[in-house]
Amino acid sequence: MADKLVIDPITRIEGHLRLEIEIDGGQVTDAWSSSTMFRGLEIILPGRDPRGAWLMAQRI
Amino acid sequence: MTDRVNGNMAEILAQKGVSRREFLKFCSIMAGTLALPASFAPKIAHALQTAQRPPVVWLEMQDCAGCTESLLRANQPTVAELVLDVLSLNYHETIMAPSGERAEKSLMDTVAQGGYLTVVEGAIPTKDDGIYCCIGGRTALDILTEVAANTAAIIAVGACAFYGGWPATTPNPTGAQGVRDVISDKPIVNLAGCPYNVDNLTATVVHYLTFNRLPEMDELGRPLFGYGRRIHDNCERRGHFDAGQFVKAWGDEGHRQGWCLYQMGCKGPVAYHNCPTIRWNEGTNWPVGAGHGCIACAGVGFWETPAYQTVEIFGQTPPSTFPAVEEEEGLSAASAGAIGGAAGLVVGVGGAVVARQIMKNETEEA
Repeated sequence: MADKLVIDPITRIEGHLRLEIEIDGGQVTDAWSSSTMFRGLEIILPGRDPRGAWLMAQRI
Repeated sequence: MTDRVNGNMAEILAQKGVSRREFLKFCSIMAGTLALPASFAPKIAHALQTAQRPPVVWLEMQDCAGCTESLLRANQPTVAELVLDVLSLNYHETIMAPSGERAEKSLMDTVAQGGYLTVVEGAIPTKDDGIYCCIGGRTALDILTEVAANTAAIIAVGACAFYGGWPATTPNPTGAQGVRDVISDKPIVNLAGCPYNVDNLTATVVHYLTFNRLPEMDELGRPLFGYGRRIHDNCERRGHFDAGQFVKAWGDEGHRQGWCLYQMGCKGPVAYHNCPTIRWNEGTNWPVGAGHGCIACAGVGFWETPAYQTVEIFGQTPPSTFPAVEEEEGLSAASAGAIGGAAGLVVGVGGAVVARQIMKNETEEA
């Protein structure tokens, strides 16, 4: 039977990250990482004045 | 932050070998930043030397960590760093050692004790039950609501925590909102800006430690000392504006000569911030000084106006205001400046379409 380890939040990084790790007999058998924050710049930028796009994109 | 220090300010100063002279100089600068008469410097010095470490939790929501970068750049003057060291930063995802459950335990232990300051960086998504930002399996909204319940006061840093920032830009896909939109029963000070300027955080903390309350604020909850004066009125390129000397294209002769950036879309005439006076990167420079127009990042909804679209000038534009003669905390130079600004708005109400639109947005958001 595999154990599951969840580390959320991962600190000392920029952004929000969650790790889920499956462990069987002391070995990692599977792992998932998820970014747990979404703002939608991909939805906001289209249709805007392109000259200002860099100002928003640099703030990701 | 990383170099952990213990004790009150007097002990920390002794540990760090900061001279009395250097410390008093810092206190005078803080009095000036807060628009207080210089005679307040000894009171600030006394308060800082006797202050106990207030616990602080720093919550990151829909953020880019730019405001954290601003915090970490607080390394000059040395004393300012120490004032921030006086804070017991119990929780800050980007710079704390523990991860996962242990990190969340640090937060909840502090919340259980109560009486802490809460700093919020980033917007709070409210659409679809707030699922667009989760930490430790809980939504940002849920965490903020619990943390706010026991806090003494909230300091919202940056445009996102102020009103939602760029995540809240049309069409606002995640229903991003500012702290004041979701928390209403706690004192909140908004250090607006994208990012906020760490010198304004230092000054706010100094004010809190000295007077045991948040500084005087405008109707949007921004401290008057930092957001009471118009950028246009304190800009080093103002002389070129008055002389009609404008940059017409990037890299043209006027640009090389440091002329006014108004025609390139500078929002200085409608922006309120102490950017020109305290500057950035240890007081080195600021955007207009570096040759780019102001984007009015301390206002509500500033992302909606294209960065290179010219704004209309409103009101009279007097030069920098002067400190009050009386030593009275209430009527500071900043509040006097705000009154002057309001009078100017009445005078120039004629053709100010964009300016009025921005003011209107701010009023509606208030």
